[in-house]
Parts: sequence; structure tokens; C-alpha cells
Amino acid sequence: MSLIARNVLIALGITIVLSGTVVYAVNYLNRERVAELGAIENQISIETLSLDTQFSLLAATPCDSIASSTALTGELADLGNRLAYAEGQLGTDNAQVVQLKKQYSLLEIRDYLITKQLAAACGTKPVTVLYFYSNAGDCSDCDKAGYALSYLRTAYPTLRVYSFDYNLNLGALKTFEAVTKVKDDLPAFVVNGKHSYGFTSLADFEKQFPKGALATTTSSN
Amino acid sequence: MSPQMLAYPFLFLAIFFESFVLVTLLSKPARAALNRKNSALNPSVAVIVPCYNECETVAKTCESLLALDYPKDKLEIILVDDGSTDNTPIEMAHFADNPQVKIIRKENGGKHTALNAGIAATQAEIVGCLDADSFVEPSALLEIVPCFSDPKTAAVTAAMSIHQPESLIQHMQNAEYIFGITMRHTLASINGLYVTPGPFSFYKRAIVEELGGFRHGHQTEDMEMALCIQQAGYRIENAILARVYTKSPKTVLALIKQRTRWTTGFMRNVLGEYRGLIGNKRYSVLGMLVLPCALIAIVSGILLFLMTVFTFLKNLVSALEIRAGIPLSYSLLPHTSFSWFYFPVSAYIFLGFATLIASLFLIAVGKYISKTPGNLTLGLISYTFLYGIIAPLWLIRATSDVVFGRHRRWK
Repeated sequence: MSLIARNVLIALGITIVLSGTVVYAVNYLNRERVAELGAIENQISIETLSLDTQFSLLAATPCDSIASSTALTGELADLGNRLAYAEGQLGTDNAQVVQLKKQYSLLEIRDYLITKQLAAACGTKPVTVLYFYSNAGDCSDCDKAGYALSYLRTAYPTLRVYSFDYNLNLGALKTFEAVTKVKDDLPAFVVNGKHSYGFTSLADFEKQFPKGALATTTSSN
Repeated sequence: MSPQMLAYPFLFLAIFFESFVLVTLLSKPARAALNRKNSALNPSVAVIVPCYNECETVAKTCESLLALDYPKDKLEIILVDDGSTDNTPIEMAHFADNPQVKIIRKENGGKHTALNAGIAATQAEIVGCLDADSFVEPSALLEIVPCFSDPKTAAVTAAMSIHQPESLIQHMQNAEYIFGITMRHTLASINGLYVTPGPFSFYKRAIVEELGGFRHGHQTEDMEMALCIQQAGYRIENAILARVYTKSPKTVLALIKQRTRWTTGFMRNVLGEYRGLIGNKRYSVLGMLVLPCALIAIVSGILLFLMTVFTFLKNLVSALEIRAGIPLSYSLLPHTSFSWFYFPVSAYIFLGFATLIASLFLIAVGKYISKTPGNLTLGLISYTFLYGIIAPLWLIRATSDVVFGRHRRWK
């Protein structure tokens, strides 16, 4: 075998090994990413159950669990960010991502219900936003709406935003959509029970909030 | 299919070629070339300096040649004024009394005619060319001569680097030239060179005459001559310790203009008169690997650049749309936590990074084995961040010129 042919074969071998290593490393890191998401989700699941239990135990003084509930909502928001990032990296069709999204949606619904119960029991008036989106390519304004809500959540830490993929095939979510009477005209919002559809600008969107709600949420609860 | 999928074959090929260069660099012929002994023979040598309006540098170029460590009775310097309209003739006249220097004046006809005029005026066994904006180290010629020991060797190239780089663009070129040192040393060991650069390349005069002398070669007479030598079945060697410094374009526009000429010359020669070399087993690594890879590199350079620009603009427009109406205090800052979780992981990024690291490594190797002096830090930094942005511009311009048959002036 000539020197050149030998070198070509060695170089080809190096390239294949290097490319294979890269593909393996990318898959490994993505698996780790999904595993971390799963771990966070499990943790939140336990905390949700804990809060639920705490709420039941403190039936007489349920308002003691408000702090726990608020912290939980923050963790849910962080998980939502990570999930959205993982979805962007791995694709919307990735089975593990879809599975995690389903669990995440269940946690959100559970947190929303606890928030409502606490509000009724303690007389607080939290501002909650249910946000329904789609990433199937049929919602051109969903990215803008999602970013605006991220901003509002940062600007008003006590604002409770719950994001749901409208097309996610999950029984509880379908029931939730039916109960909240949300139509498939996306993006759809339910701000303290009031429905609105479409997103034009942050300024217009803020008009959907109860008067003074955004200002007071920073100091309420 | 995502645009990134288009890039994978090119990235794979880039890594393959860099691996091939690395493996060949470690092979016996390349290692042997590093330990080449100086020749006991001192053949007669003529160095031709073709000049067209080079009054600012020609004297220094000539002085560096006169300082060459070589028997004076065997070294002839031929200054050819190719119809300059500036003070080049006056500068040349300062050397008129030197017995080693011969001055030729002729009507402007292009660099190849100046070289042929110089060759016609000498009987030296070896003829060389030194562009009038380049300077050599005293030992350079003694490094070149032993490379002609093989009767099949028709030409020998030197190790070029940038003369006193100042701007970032010049530092970037310096890194690129040192990358070229590694490539030339490696490819010469398997006879894969397709250019004998103007700064200090040497030829056996008899072979040059046999091949009909220099031709216009689409404004790249050095490339045309190298391809002609390869086509005739001769070898082109490289003397990695024959150091030559060349002036380089100071601005991006000047650089793009220079490289457009080089790239159009390459494409017109290789796809024109010398297309028979491509994919031809007779020309071994040059025909089967080097020339096809060089052509693919042009396509990939353009494609990857356009793809990156397209993706960047698309993301920018999308980001601006999404952020419209959101206070800048929020929209200008990142909002993800600093966690490995958000590290952008994709085969595209990893393979691109591997290609870059391999390039930087080959540059460092080139500096080490050629013992090129100077600090390369700025060169490596500017090469990393600028080359990928600037090089595609001349590739696009050159390809457009070739496709639409546009011809530009040399200067």
C-alpha cells in the first residue's frame, strides 16, 4: 500500500472516530439534560404533593402554606424555561420531551388549583395568567407572547403565569381547557378568569389585566 | 432538513483533510525533509526581481538579496523594471555598479514577461523569483539549493511569513501564512503543491525553458507554472527553513482584492487549462485529493458563510420581533441561569470547533518546525475571529468573477 493510500485510510479513520465521538457526546449530553429535567420535575412533584398535604393538614390555618406555594411557582417557572430550551434543542417531537411536558402541565394545573384554594381561604387576590400556545407552526404570535409573559413574570414576581401547549395530548389538560372554556384561537390567555385571544404588543396585553393588578402584585401575598 | 445538515459533509471533509495533513506531517518523507543536509554543491543561481512601480521597497529587497549567504560569483540578481511609471528605475540605478546586479528595462507587459526577460538574460542553472515587496534571510538560499538534488525536482518553494505585521488584518494573514508553511511542507513531501509563490520560489532554468517559460496564467503566473510543472511530471519541493518575509495588504479591501486575484487565478487555471489534473490518478495526491479539496473548500467557504449569515439574520429578525415593545433593561440581558444545561450542544458546533482547533494546531506546528520568529498570539486571535468572516468575501467575489467572466486589473 502506498504512503498516500495509507495516510488517507488513517485520516478517514480519525475523522470517523472523531465524528462518532462528537455524535456520542451530543447524545450523551442531551440524555443528561433530559435526566436533569426529570430530576427537577420529580423534585417539584414531591414539593407539590407536600404542599397539597400541608394545605390539608393546616385546614384550620391554610394561609401558612402561602410562602411554600409562592416558592413552588418560581421553581415551576425555572423548570418551564429549561423545558422550553430542551424542546428547542431536541425537537418538539422528542418523546422524552413530550412526556416531561405532560408531567409539567399536570404540575402547573395542580399549582394553579392550590393557588386558587389558598386565595379563597386566605382572601388574597393573586393575579394568575393561563397562557395557551402552540408550537406546531400555527401560532405566529406565540413566541412574542411567551417572551412578554417572561418579562412580566420577572417584573412582577408574584404574577403567576401558567403556560400550556394547547395541542398536548393529555386528558387532564383537555379537561382543563374545557373547564376554562379556552378556544383554539392561539395564543389564548385567561387573566384572572377573563379570556383574551391574540397578541399584538406588551402595552395592549397589559390592558387585559385588572386595573392596578400589576402594580399591586408586587406587594401582595 | 435544517441548514446545518448541509454543512456536515463539508465539516467532515475539512476534518478529514486536516487529519490527512497531520498524518502526512508525521510520515517519513516529511520528517526526512526537516533534516535535509546542506548541499556541498553551489550551482549558479539568478534571482529575478520583477518590478512594476515598486520604488518604495525594491532597494530593500535588493539589499536583502545581496546579503544572501552564497558565493558571490555564483549569485546573480536581475532587477527587471516592467515599465514602471514611478521612481523604480532611479532606485534600481543605485545598484547599477554592483557586479552581481543586472538591470533590465522593458515595456510593461505583465509579471510573466518580466520573469521571462530575466530568464533570457541569464545562464544560471537555477533561477528564482523574489517579488519586490519581499525580503529574505541570509541563509534562505542555502536552504533552497539542497532541495534540487532530485533530478525530477523542477521547483522549490520557501517558507513565507508577513513582514512586520501591524494591523489585526496583517496579524491574521501572518497566522494564515504560517498555516501555509505547514501545508506546503507537508504536501511537498508527497508532491501535492500547486503553487510556487512569487516570494522566493526557485526553478531549474532548463526545465522552465523546456516548459515554455512563464505565461500570464490568469494573473497567477506562479500557480500556472506550478501546475505546468506538475502536469509535465516533475516535482515541487519545499525548503521549510528558507525564510522570506513579504509585505501584506493593510486593509480588508486591499486583502480582498489581492485574494480575489489569487482565487480567480486558481479557478480559471484549474477548471480551464489544467482541468485534466483533477481526479486524474496519474497526478496522485494532487489530482485525487489536493485539487478537489481546494475546489470544495471554495464551495464550502461560501456555503457555510451564507448559511451562517442567513441563520444569524433570521434569528436577529426573530429576536427583534419578539422583543419589540419590551423594555430594553430586560430584553438586552440574558435571562437563563449560568448552568451547563443551557450550553449549546450540537454536532455542528463541536465539529466546527474541532476544525478550528486543528487549524490553530497546524499553525502552531508550522511556527515551531519552521522556527519562524515573532509572537503569534494576535495572529491566532485574529485568525480565529476574523478569517471566517473575511475569507468568504473574496471567495464569493472570485466565484462571481469566474461565473460572469469578469476580469479585474492587477492593481
